[in-house]
Amino acid sequence: MSYTGFAITEILIFAALGVLLHLQFGRTGIVNFGVVGFVGVGMYGFGIFTTTLGLSFWLALLLATVATAVVAMLVGWAIAGLDGDSTLVATLAFATIVFNLAITEKWLTGGVSGLGGLPYPVDAGGSSGVYLLAIIAVVVVVFVGYALRLGRVSYGRLLASIRDNELLARSLGKSTTRQKLIFFVVTSTAMGLIGAFYASVNQFLVPNMLGPQLTFTVWIAVILGGRTKAFGPILGVLVSVALFDLVIEPYLPVPAALAPVFPDLKLMLYGLVLVLVILFKPLGLLGGRKEARA
Amino acid sequence: MVDDDRTQAAAPGRAGLILDGIIKKFAGRTVCDVPHLELGAYGVEGLVGPNGAGKTTLTKLITGALALDEGVIVHNGPSGPVQISGLPTHQIAQQGVVKSNQVIQDFESLTIRDSLLLAVTTSDAERFYRLFGKAGPTQQQADEIDWYLDYFELSDPDRHALSGGEKKLLDIIRCLLVKPRFLLLDEPTAGLPQAETEKVARLVAEKAAAGEMSVLIIEHDLELMWSLCEYVHFLAEGRVLLQGPPEQIRNDPTVVEKYLGAGHA
Repeated sequence: MSYTGFAITEILIFAALGVLLHLQFGRTGIVNFGVVGFVGVGMYGFGIFTTTLGLSFWLALLLATVATAVVAMLVGWAIAGLDGDSTLVATLAFATIVFNLAITEKWLTGGVSGLGGLPYPVDAGGSSGVYLLAIIAVVVVVFVGYALRLGRVSYGRLLASIRDNELLARSLGKSTTRQKLIFFVVTSTAMGLIGAFYASVNQFLVPNMLGPQLTFTVWIAVILGGRTKAFGPILGVLVSVALFDLVIEPYLPVPAALAPVFPDLKLMLYGLVLVLVILFKPLGLLGGRKEARA
Repeated sequence: MVDDDRTQAAAPGRAGLILDGIIKKFAGRTVCDVPHLELGAYGVEGLVGPNGAGKTTLTKLITGALALDEGVIVHNGPSGPVQISGLPTHQIAQQGVVKSNQVIQDFESLTIRDSLLLAVTTSDAERFYRLFGKAGPTQQQADEIDWYLDYFELSDPDRHALSGGEKKLLDIIRCLLVKPRFLLLDEPTAGLPQAETEKVARLVAEKAAAGEMSVLIIEHDLELMWSLCEYVHFLAEGRVLLQGPPEQIRNDPTVVEKYLGAGHA
């Protein structure tokens, strides 16, 4: 696949993860700082099922998602009842564990040398990647549609009440801890699904993909665009990842000497934009002004 | 100590809540010590006492917002007695024991209508996969909310609650929409305009008289208490010192000394 095609696919991956984080954090108030952990389980699950076990694309995708669901249940059970700060630390710790397991468990993950030769959903030679891009685009549309619809139904109202005032929701008979756990497992499992697609996009897995940069990038997109809006993360990804990968990197003449530090520059630039947004538009680019009174 | 003579209750109905051997300590200091208390035998009961008497603490122990150190609380529900002490708050609320808040509590991002819809929605409609059909309110639920909006003259319900009084009122309406068997109102009139206070009082009295629920009110507006309550519990220093009809409590020397102050009545 061409550079542009690959970049667009990656942008869609981040958009999908952004919408999922919007559901967890923006709507429900779950501070999940272990996004890459769930993505990683889906990624490596897919990699192991297809290469080591030789399963087909779709079966491996399904099993990798199921594997993420099991892990999400364990993590969700561990963080149920924790407050925001503790949830942040616990999920970050979980992602770190996944990262380290990918390095140390060589028999399963190939260690630092990784897993190679992952399949595409449709083997169409040079345009295989285009089919994958289209499938992921459909998934993003479904996620955004779900997030939009949630704003109009009882369940979305329940999630908002949990985010706003969990004790008050509980006093009205809502089993908030259980509902949060279920929603966390469902959305984290979807992150695993995206991870499995991401594995196919990359065709090759190495542990470095599971570093915290992925989590940070998704968080930055959600905060930038507006955490409470379904389209917030989409806009956020456009002004961070897309701006960098589709405009700055291909068209801005960068001295060769800077090439090695390019990924770091990218994160620094994200950080700068994030600081500006928090200073001038605390609820993100799409965030309204109303809630600023909080 | 509880004086048996004066606390004798000629109970006309079955008590809604029975508290036994209640002890609650904060950092070693006993803030609640209630060996036996029956609430809700009358339709509307009051809980009076000086600041720091443990009134709010007692109600928080009932709703599970605070954990008991010792004791048992039993709720006489429609399907028989249920021990509610030890249950999580949301299950106590599902049993029909609900409390309004003394300090204003609100859902920031929900409109007036949404925050009321939240209260009437059953857990069956609140599933992550319900995006259509059952996901919305039933006609009956919508009508019920419209009735309350109309009764309290809340115009334009698709905006956010603005004033403290409005938030306080919504808190009480939400409690009523849950259709409690036993409603605890913690200082309902604090921050509420006079007209709304009267409407709340009238509505609560009607619902209690119709046998829909029992009500326990904590309130410093004593005129309201004497006129609204059929039975009053007097609490001081974490103990129930006195129980009886309002006219008896308001003239009791203990109450005058500990709460109303000399020169009253």
